[in-house]
Amino acid sequence: MPTLRSATANSSPVATPSPAASSTPRSVKRRLTPGSAGQLPDASRHTSPHRSPHAGAGNVYTPKLLSASPKSSRKRLYGDLVLPEKPKWNPRGKSLNFPFWPAYPAQMRAVKEALHVATVPSCGLVCRDDEQNRVLEFCKACVEQEKAGSLYVCGCPGTGKTLSITKVKESLVRCADEMGMETPDELAINCTNLGNTSDIFGKILGQFLGRKKGSGKLSPLQQLQNMFSNKESAPRRMMMVIVDEMDYLITRDRAVLHDLFMLTTFPFSRCILIGIANAIDLADRFLPKLESLNCKPLVVTFRAYSKDQISDIIKHRLKVLEYDVFEPLALEFCARKVAAASGDMRKALGVCRSAVEVLEASLKDSDQEIGMVTFDHMDVALSKVFKSAVVDSILCLPQHQQMVLCALANTFQHCKKKATSLGELNKSYIEICRSTQVPAVGMLEFSNMCMVLSDQGFMKLGQSKEDKLRRVTLQIDSSDITFAFKGNRFFQKCLGLPRYANKSQLWICERSDACIVLDQSGKSTAKLFIGVLMPREVYMR
Amino acid sequence: MQKYENGSANGRQTARTLTPSLPSVTVHFKSTFPPSSAFLPVAGERPRMDLSATPSRSKSKAKSSPAKPIAASAEVQMDLCTPSKATPKRKSKSVTSPPPTTPATPSTVRRSRRLLDTPTKANPEAPVKATPTPTSKGKRAAPSPKTPAQREPKRQRRQPKKRSYYRKVVYDGGEFEVGDDVYVKRREDAESDAEDPEAEECRVCFRSGGGVMVECDMCLGGFHLRCVRPPLRRVPEGDWSCQYCEAERAGKAMERPKPPEGKRIVRTAKEKLLASDLWAARIESLWREPDGTFWAKVRWYIIPEETAAGRQTHNLRRELYRTNDLGDIEMETILRHCFVMNPKEFRDANDAGDDVFYCEYEYDIHWHNFKRLADIDDEPETKEDPSDEPYNANTDYISDTDEDSEYDEEEEPTSCSLARRNQTHELAANSRKGRIYGLQKIGIRKIPEHVRCHQKTELEKAKATLLLATLPKSLPCRDKEMEEISTFVKDAICNDQCLGRCLYIHGVPGTGKTMSVLAVMRRLRSEFDSGTLRPYCFIEINGLKLASPENIYKVIYEQLSGHRVGWKKALHYLTEHFSGGTRIGKQANQPIVLLIDELDLLLTRNQSVLYNILDWPTKPNSNLVVIGIANTMDLPEKLLPRISSRMGIQRLCFGPYNFRQLQEIIISRLKGINAFEEQAIEFASRKVAAMSGDARRALEICRRAAEFADYRTKQSGQASLTCNRGDGVVCMGDIEAAIQEVFQAPHIQVMKNCPKFGKVILVAMVHELYKSGLGEVMFDKLASTVFSWCHVNRELLPGYDTLLKICCKLGESKIILCEEGSKHKLQKLQLNYPSDDVTFALKESPDLPWLSKYL
Repeated sequence: MPTLRSATANSSPVATPSPAASSTPRSVKRRLTPGSAGQLPDASRHTSPHRSPHAGAGNVYTPKLLSASPKSSRKRLYGDLVLPEKPKWNPRGKSLNFPFWPAYPAQMRAVKEALHVATVPSCGLVCRDDEQNRVLEFCKACVEQEKAGSLYVCGCPGTGKTLSITKVKESLVRCADEMGMETPDELAINCTNLGNTSDIFGKILGQFLGRKKGSGKLSPLQQLQNMFSNKESAPRRMMMVIVDEMDYLITRDRAVLHDLFMLTTFPFSRCILIGIANAIDLADRFLPKLESLNCKPLVVTFRAYSKDQISDIIKHRLKVLEYDVFEPLALEFCARKVAAASGDMRKALGVCRSAVEVLEASLKDSDQEIGMVTFDHMDVALSKVFKSAVVDSILCLPQHQQMVLCALANTFQHCKKKATSLGELNKSYIEICRSTQVPAVGMLEFSNMCMVLSDQGFMKLGQSKEDKLRRVTLQIDSSDITFAFKGNRFFQKCLGLPRYANKSQLWICERSDACIVLDQSGKSTAKLFIGVLMPREVYMR
Repeated sequence: MQKYENGSANGRQTARTLTPSLPSVTVHFKSTFPPSSAFLPVAGERPRMDLSATPSRSKSKAKSSPAKPIAASAEVQMDLCTPSKATPKRKSKSVTSPPPTTPATPSTVRRSRRLLDTPTKANPEAPVKATPTPTSKGKRAAPSPKTPAQREPKRQRRQPKKRSYYRKVVYDGGEFEVGDDVYVKRREDAESDAEDPEAEECRVCFRSGGGVMVECDMCLGGFHLRCVRPPLRRVPEGDWSCQYCEAERAGKAMERPKPPEGKRIVRTAKEKLLASDLWAARIESLWREPDGTFWAKVRWYIIPEETAAGRQTHNLRRELYRTNDLGDIEMETILRHCFVMNPKEFRDANDAGDDVFYCEYEYDIHWHNFKRLADIDDEPETKEDPSDEPYNANTDYISDTDEDSEYDEEEEPTSCSLARRNQTHELAANSRKGRIYGLQKIGIRKIPEHVRCHQKTELEKAKATLLLATLPKSLPCRDKEMEEISTFVKDAICNDQCLGRCLYIHGVPGTGKTMSVLAVMRRLRSEFDSGTLRPYCFIEINGLKLASPENIYKVIYEQLSGHRVGWKKALHYLTEHFSGGTRIGKQANQPIVLLIDELDLLLTRNQSVLYNILDWPTKPNSNLVVIGIANTMDLPEKLLPRISSRMGIQRLCFGPYNFRQLQEIIISRLKGINAFEEQAIEFASRKVAAMSGDARRALEICRRAAEFADYRTKQSGQASLTCNRGDGVVCMGDIEAAIQEVFQAPHIQVMKNCPKFGKVILVAMVHELYKSGLGEVMFDKLASTVFSWCHVNRELLPGYDTLLKICCKLGESKIILCEEGSKHKLQKLQLNYPSDDVTFALKESPDLPWLSKYL
């Protein structure tokens, strides 16, 4: 485990940096200390430290570090320059408080590794003690009494459910050892990996029988039921079955889920069933029968992380590094933002990592000395994730698509209708084109453009056999469109067009257009309509 | 290839280089000729053109009868040496008569090469295989109806300049044809290569010959039927394994019989190949260097042990993988034929001999993944014909100096291959060895090479480069995005421990998403080749090509391991692999980059496929990097929260191109070709940028415009020989026409071309609709209008049923919408298109001048 590795590097004796250990960032740094402590910023401007004679240890560098050449050496340069300002957070209190990481790519890597989703913090989970204890107590009780039980764990994504349960599993094994009980078997199943929902019984049975094939006649479920119903055949050891993403087991008749929970009610059942899913009320909603049978699972809810918890967890993860990576303010900002949005730890870690990348990029671009991730970096990273870029993306659209949006806004702005059809939209789009004297695109291309717009989430297209009858709804606020085109006279004109409430009026308008055509060809009948209905448009022409 | 100024001097050089090489050749055939006769056919030093095409018989056991044909072929050889007598016709006969075998060459001499393939045009009367060999054109220079004797000197003079390519070569007694599979020597000086036992020895009695032998399917050892305990009567059906293998499988120890003292075990070529002492290869092309040595370009086969995955349990003993690695080797190193078969052939080949191998997959040596051969061959092959290359080679053999530079490579084979390798890396377009992938496949098929070989005009060149299938040399306007992708991949790969991550790329169609990712991967590969990057495996999957979303597991597993299993099993294996259990193959810690194009197609009802794929990178030690590409911006929001949580926050947006970028893209494609007016390009790009910003559209419009211009030029060239200024250049008018064609719906054309009464009906309909102000019109009303019009304008009156029929026709083409026909004259009609379009289309119709007054 990477975090462990760096942890051991820390604990290694300071006095004896062996050449072999020189590849870890720490020891290299240590070797640099005597040199750079004395000759601070002056020497380092032009020579990268590992070439400087003061360092006197150029030969111990591994080729790997040497080959990292100009970039890394520049980074090291920063490291030396930032030296005087000490990091605020220095848990080990040693004298080697180096301004840490722009110095080495290896350190950067360690930071990223610590922030990675897959990295399991070595020293236990924080902020989930309560839930873990409850689950552990439950399991312990089951193991002690040799009685089956079921538990249901729910919570939003990214709240550490699976991770906590895995930890509980480990500690349960430890506890059982301490108590002198027989260690329970364990089986973790992720339901998304099942080809068929009822395969789960086969897996459980296989675990109980220890890879032996049971009799072929009965289904695995029946075999399990038989096994648990009489004393002789019941297995001696308890088994902890962890069913992750349990809601994938929901079938139309809910038989699988029901049978699974029912397994724990058999007199000689040895199953400790722990189901994990997102829905709070999965058991209540889908298995009302269980309540009447008195085998309703105990429910443990994992709440979304609060801002303090998020920042605690990130700090905890970064504890393995002996340097400050984030400004406390930046971390706080990130935690608040994520907690407000979803409380998803994965997202928080992703934001932190992306902030580190922002810093990396800014290091590459400019010559500033930045020692840690500041508020600004975090702001950039957060805005990448949480900002809704509707207005910007409207402004980036091709012109005709913008006009389609105008047409859509026109239709919805003044009447109460919520949806329109593609054909209607095309008509009002053509109207806009005509009034602005832009040649309109054909119907095929138009529906293509609408498709693209719906891909980008501006509108929603319904399904229909006939292309013209597809239902169109606006997905964004129409005031966004108005706002985006505020300064543009062309689109102001597009948005200011009259709207036609119903079909007959639309038809009249259409006809009045025909009138205009006729007018050009010298017909006089058109005037009536023009005078009555379309004064503005006629003058416009 | 170096150019030689002096042909004759080079000829001498050929002779010199040949002679010293003779002793080094340890030929594995017994010398049956006296040494004197060995040097007799000196004329044979210059490769002879033999006019016959001997039927190339497959000869698995041909070696076993070396003695008899020797004499025959020797005779032929002598015959060849007396060229005065040899008329083309006679010679062809004389060669066809002896069976093609391994004529034992005089041991130290390897000069019995004859080129079996000849200029077909040289003597059409000869019974030559009528394949229009590319060589033919090249040899046209040689005067045809002369005897070889007279031809020789001429060839001698000409040859040194260029390589000459052949379809079939008799070299050292074996006939080698393009497409054959051969054994190739692996080491320079291995003694054991020389020995090549005729038949395998029995594993029990260690004697060869003497009865039928049966092969064990597990250890591939041969056994006499009588030596097996219990003895067998006949060769058993189905799989059979020897008692030793059976015992081993049962876990018992059983001593295999040791060979008698003093007897050396001779391994057959097959055994040596499987012990990686030999190579197997497939001949792609054959040629002779100017210095007279014979070379072949071969495609290597490798044994499963040499792949990154190692030998796996599902590999057959005789399984080989074809690679995409090509190499140039000297014919000297080729030993003899072997036979690599596809699964079907292999199943049918029961007793085809010892040198039969099985090959189902192609192994990509760069990405370390497997592709089924059947898939590759099914693909519409835009790969250049193998005949292309010789063709060019021979055109420049005649006179064309234009293409010469291509062949100005170093003479030395090593540097030559090196040069070629580098070359492929520089040119992005060629780096995939002519195979087509990804974006290159979209769009129109490439024009075959022979169409383009005449001197191309600027316009034609422009058309070729504007094809969607042509990979551009560079990708302008996407530098930022590509930089981001490459840092993403590198970040994940470069570390000692690969951190699994996920990147979602979205953007409207035609904005270069897939192309950018592939370009980045190519660049990374060249970095990897130069050694700055760790090895990694790259898997590319297009969601559209999967029969069902679940099949993606199958495809991934197949590419990783070269083994086909059902998707459930594949899912099981993959889950184990990524969650740190048993790994697939040897490449335990190799990072895997998985590119999924059209990611949104993997959405199933419960989204479990996407969940699994996006869950793997979050496992510790998964070493998986997923790059997903799709059009929809809000795909993560549409997914279940648990999936979008696992997807991470890495997004990359490819916005639509604006007109400046489109302009740059087109100009960069047309670099060096002066076929477009500046404004024309700008017009096209502005037009496209206003509608969709789709680069494919822009290229398509430009190409179509180039076609229009080409057509125009040809027309004007035919009509009058005077050249106007606009010829040969695409101008605004062409672009306009192309845009009309691409963006305008075809209905106006249809209306313009519909029959006379159809037009009348349409106009009458517009008229009626306008008059009544309704959206639809009854048929009888329409008909009466038409009748009255026709009456007034002295047209022939149509019948009622004719009008109805025409209405139906128009209804079928959806110009108008009509109710069902049972209502007859009461059916209501509706225009499907705006009435303006009808007016526009029918305003001036030449056959009905009176129509416009009703509009």
